[in-house]
Amino acid sequence: MAAAAVVLTLSLAGCGDGTSGSSSETTSTPPPVNNVQPVIVDAGPVVSGQPAGNANVLFTTVTICMPGTATCQTIDHVTVDTGSTGLRILASQLTLNLPGSMNANGQPIGNCIQFADNTYQWGPVQKADIKMAGEVASSVPIQVVGPSNFPAAPTDCTAGGTPVQTVSDLGANGILGVGLFRQDCGPACASATSPPAIYYSCPASACSITSVSVAEQLQNPVSMFPRDNNGLAITLPQVPAGGAVSVSGTLIFGVGTQANNTLSGALAQATDGFGNFTTTFNGVRYSSSFIDSGSNGLFFLDSATTGLPDCARQEAGFYCPGSTTGFSAINSGPNPNVSTTTVSTNIAFAIANAATLFNSPSYAFNNLGGSNPGAFDWGLPFFFGRTVFIGIEGRSSPAGMGPYWAY
Amino acid sequence: MIQRTLVVSAALLAVALSGFAALGGSEESVISDQIRLQASRKVVPEHGYRVHEITREDGTLIKEYVSFEGKVFGVSWKGPTLPDLSQLLGSNFAEFRNGLHPQAGRRKAAVIRTGDLVVESSGHMRAFEGRAYLNSMLPAGVTQDVVQ
Repeated sequence: MAAAAVVLTLSLAGCGDGTSGSSSETTSTPPPVNNVQPVIVDAGPVVSGQPAGNANVLFTTVTICMPGTATCQTIDHVTVDTGSTGLRILASQLTLNLPGSMNANGQPIGNCIQFADNTYQWGPVQKADIKMAGEVASSVPIQVVGPSNFPAAPTDCTAGGTPVQTVSDLGANGILGVGLFRQDCGPACASATSPPAIYYSCPASACSITSVSVAEQLQNPVSMFPRDNNGLAITLPQVPAGGAVSVSGTLIFGVGTQANNTLSGALAQATDGFGNFTTTFNGVRYSSSFIDSGSNGLFFLDSATTGLPDCARQEAGFYCPGSTTGFSAINSGPNPNVSTTTVSTNIAFAIANAATLFNSPSYAFNNLGGSNPGAFDWGLPFFFGRTVFIGIEGRSSPAGMGPYWAY
Repeated sequence: MIQRTLVVSAALLAVALSGFAALGGSEESVISDQIRLQASRKVVPEHGYRVHEITREDGTLIKEYVSFEGKVFGVSWKGPTLPDLSQLLGSNFAEFRNGLHPQAGRRKAAVIRTGDLVVESSGHMRAFEGRAYLNSMLPAGVTQDVVQ
């Protein structure tokens, strides 16, 4: 990895030091608050006396509260996911009885998230205040995943796939989706004629696909903070080639809003409307590439294109080269401030034998990788040794208007 | 010309009510997909095959590749929502699902390569893409590279 190690000292108190933010809000600006949230890569939540034990999962601890009250619950080992939007808490880990969201007809709203590997999560939309560091997002629609007292997942949601709704299956107590977008779906799910299979109206009998206004959809909690709401940065130190048992870092809310979240030379690249950009590898452009802290490896192309052997069945999907192999690629996208200018960044990375890594006592690896035909999925290893900024769609910052990545 | 168009439309409608299946199925099954997906459709002729392009209202584009014998030899998808793969893969879906090895906490692309069936599904929330094809059903002179 080309980037030098960056180790930030966690400082939970006193971050709101009074230096002026560059917020362009003209309404009453709240005073600066602590915007530094600790994150960790470790063995994960304990299930049946054993840690989940998955590699390269980034976790944080989230406090959720009954809206407008001090009745709260703190939930650890929630995955920090830049590849999705919205907070999703497993029902089995939730003790609060949060108020459910209702649609225009007074029926409970159900939400379905489907993943490319034919897995899904299903459950009602409920509202909670979300607290991280000194930031509070009020009355945020979140998904409660897999409660027993809610209608079963409709067939349009399951689509023959596999539920990922237990701590054991997910390897986490929930998902904190803090990606490029403000909602998990957006205008498509507000369509009156043909909304996709994401939001459902759920009378006691059975759920059916429905349209839900943008404001009632799952929201990016960061975009609902009173300030520091235009994006965030993830900072993680570099890890050795052999991996590390755990790695601590930070989420810093806001981009250019406080003294601790200035771009400091990071180069911003706008994504397309899908959150993708172009990665060029061996002279070939792959335009559906993306950065995703919720992917636990560097997933790119296929064995035939990379020359890396696939692992055997037990580690299917990962690469298992005989020796660690170095690569470089170029990420590029328009400058969000000057869209006619293309910004390119060279990325050096290495891929080690995944089976060897999984058999080591470590949980954080910068060289774990696998296949992703036709594109690059820059997963958690990309974040090690970097500060990566996420610019939220439609929000301005010194780097320009989101959606963008900067690093 | 107008009369001929009307006749064809009526025939397609009749088929749509009974057809079901997709990859490996008959061309008529494409119509059932279109109706189930509540989408618009156009047919693009290519050298050695034709492509039904089905566009959902949310912009998701589904292509079904059909041989001149009327068999769907490939499907692809790209857009903000993941289409129902059990629908698109039809009778091949069970083989796809059995070939997956869900691993807790390891989100990644789903890639299946059996002797005949190839499925590649990847992407993230708001940006899914993938393709599937049957090697044994590729028309003569047509490679899997056309399924994009």
